[in-house]
Amino acid sequence: MKTKTIIFIISCLGILSFAKAGTIKVVTTTTDLKSITELIGGNKVSVSSIATGYQNPHFVDPKHSYIIGLSKADMFVTVGLDLETGWSPQLLASSRNTKIQKGAPGYVDASIGIGLLQVPTSANRAEGDIHIYGNPHYWLDPLNGKVIARNIANGLERVDPSNKSTYESNLQAFYKKIDEKMREWKAKMAPFKGSKIIAYHNEWVYFETRFGLDVVDFMEPKPGIPPSPSQLVKVIKEIKANNIKVIISSPYFTTSSSDVVSKQTGAKELTLATSVGGFESVKNYFDVFDYDVNQLTATLK
Amino acid sequence: MKWKRALYNFFFFSALFLSEITVAQVPADSTAADSILLKQIEQQMQSSNQPAQQPQQTRSTLSFNPDIGVIGDFQGSYISKGKRNFDAYLNETEVSLQATVDPYVRADFFLSFARNPVTHAYGVEVEEGYLTTLSLPAQLQLKLGKFREAVGRINPTHPHALPFIDLPNAYVNYFGEEGLNDEGLSLSWLVPNKKFYQEIIFQATSGQSESPTFFRGDNNRFIYLGHFKNFFTLSDNSTLELGLTGITGPNDSSRTTSIAAADLTYKWKPVQMNTYKSLAWQSEFYYGHANLLDNFSVNSLGLYSFLQYQLAKRWFLTARYDYAQKPYNKKIVEQAYSLTAGWYATEFSKIELEGKTTDDTIDKRFYQAWLRWIFVIGAHGAHQY
Repeated sequence: MKTKTIIFIISCLGILSFAKAGTIKVVTTTTDLKSITELIGGNKVSVSSIATGYQNPHFVDPKHSYIIGLSKADMFVTVGLDLETGWSPQLLASSRNTKIQKGAPGYVDASIGIGLLQVPTSANRAEGDIHIYGNPHYWLDPLNGKVIARNIANGLERVDPSNKSTYESNLQAFYKKIDEKMREWKAKMAPFKGSKIIAYHNEWVYFETRFGLDVVDFMEPKPGIPPSPSQLVKVIKEIKANNIKVIISSPYFTTSSSDVVSKQTGAKELTLATSVGGFESVKNYFDVFDYDVNQLTATLK
Repeated sequence: MKWKRALYNFFFFSALFLSEITVAQVPADSTAADSILLKQIEQQMQSSNQPAQQPQQTRSTLSFNPDIGVIGDFQGSYISKGKRNFDAYLNETEVSLQATVDPYVRADFFLSFARNPVTHAYGVEVEEGYLTTLSLPAQLQLKLGKFREAVGRINPTHPHALPFIDLPNAYVNYFGEEGLNDEGLSLSWLVPNKKFYQEIIFQATSGQSESPTFFRGDNNRFIYLGHFKNFFTLSDNSTLELGLTGITGPNDSSRTTSIAAADLTYKWKPVQMNTYKSLAWQSEFYYGHANLLDNFSVNSLGLYSFLQYQLAKRWFLTARYDYAQKPYNKKIVEQAYSLTAGWYATEFSKIELEGKTTDDTIDKRFYQAWLRWIFVIGAHGAHQY
């Protein structure tokens, strides 16, 4: 009896360790990519994200501790388009992991195939922090989520071809859910089509285009340059002239300048989720839009 | 008209096929590919009345040029002793060229056009030029060339990235204004520790570069360095780094000098507001043992400690204390206090103002001040955390 129990325990342990060894270890730069990877990979993957959802994805500190996860990863997913240029190339180079270097099967650039907006015609830093490949905040259009998911599924199928059918069926389920939710979000946003708003940073162009909003101006005079008094005066004038109701911002910007404008004009400040984990209740990619759409519709009413 | 179209298709696809072959065979010679492309464009233009759906062959603007960046460092300075108290100079122009060589290695070059503080003459030197392997097994990484060596935190950092304008006295006493920057190889191993980050670096260099401590003799003696880096994540917002370094090599009296160093860095940076608020406390300790004559050696000690506080998105304040015994005579002791205010306009330019007071056991107290403006054009490499 005893031997049987021991054999049972050992075989259980064996299965457990085998199952653990069988999961594909994925490191993503942002939480949105983590969420989509989990939705596509299901129980075949274990995913961690370097950035949190309430942190500015341009300015993540390349802490050495991130290298530990990267050195063991089977796959790396990046937003790309120079969004993470200040920190992820350095971490990748230090990881000593050939499986996830640019060009390797385990390197996934989620931006492949995205219809990019605001691609600059000249690279001039006098315009502030411009992105030479185009605006990189593309995950804020739910339909781009499908492109991201396709890229992630391609990556998983390269790294783990044996589970291709699982990834494909999860991908189809993801597409379906996006389409369903898209109808719901569109219907909610429909009454506010053409609404003029002010944003803190130029990161809403994909969201704005998809949901028919009109971002008139930004609190930042130029991307990455903190709000200046003259910019605030300009924004206040615009809000008054266009009867703008809302200033949208992100969890990682201070509200001090928006407070001033809000006090002067009565426009409401709204901090939206730019990523999964931006707020406690935003637990997956769909929640980002649920949260933002609900907040916006409640304020624009 | 059908035959015309068929003929056109035949030419088009054979041209395409040829271009593929040409590109595959001689990728370096672009003229052949260009002339084929020209033919294709001509064909396309001739048939522009037919809205046929040909694959559009767009010219890519990508190139294999390395990432190029230029960093300017303009300074004004004041010193309370001597005859000339005020000065202004372009302290350094650093040109960086960085790219991957092939699937196995990457290369980094930093050329420095700098002013010699003594002769005031401008000269060019290779500040760093090294290759780094990308695909060694067993979590190893090899660096080969001329590089800033792995002594603690200040030495591997380019001076323009430091939060103060002068270098700590103890550091300059041991390694000079240029730092320990030598030619040879560096092998680093990422310790497979899942709990926290550990890295072990071993470096062997020729002693080619000048430094106050080490000297290149006409024998087969090299400088050896070992560094053990430990990095702990205390919380989401705070980290602690502890490094231990040992260096040994020949000195200018053909005997041996050894240095033991330790570095300790605490950083607090709230993840959510990391661009607005932060605090760093960094210290390094150096202990030198210089064997200068038979039966005569000097043990000396030096340290610096600084506290950097970020007041707002663009404002940084750094206070530093220096203690340094001269490596050749421990009775000469320097102590200095300095305060630096930095205004970081963007990621690409910053202005800093530093004031410093120095006491030592032979001269009377003197004061120094600097103003520097750092500006970057082109590619801007990421800074170390």
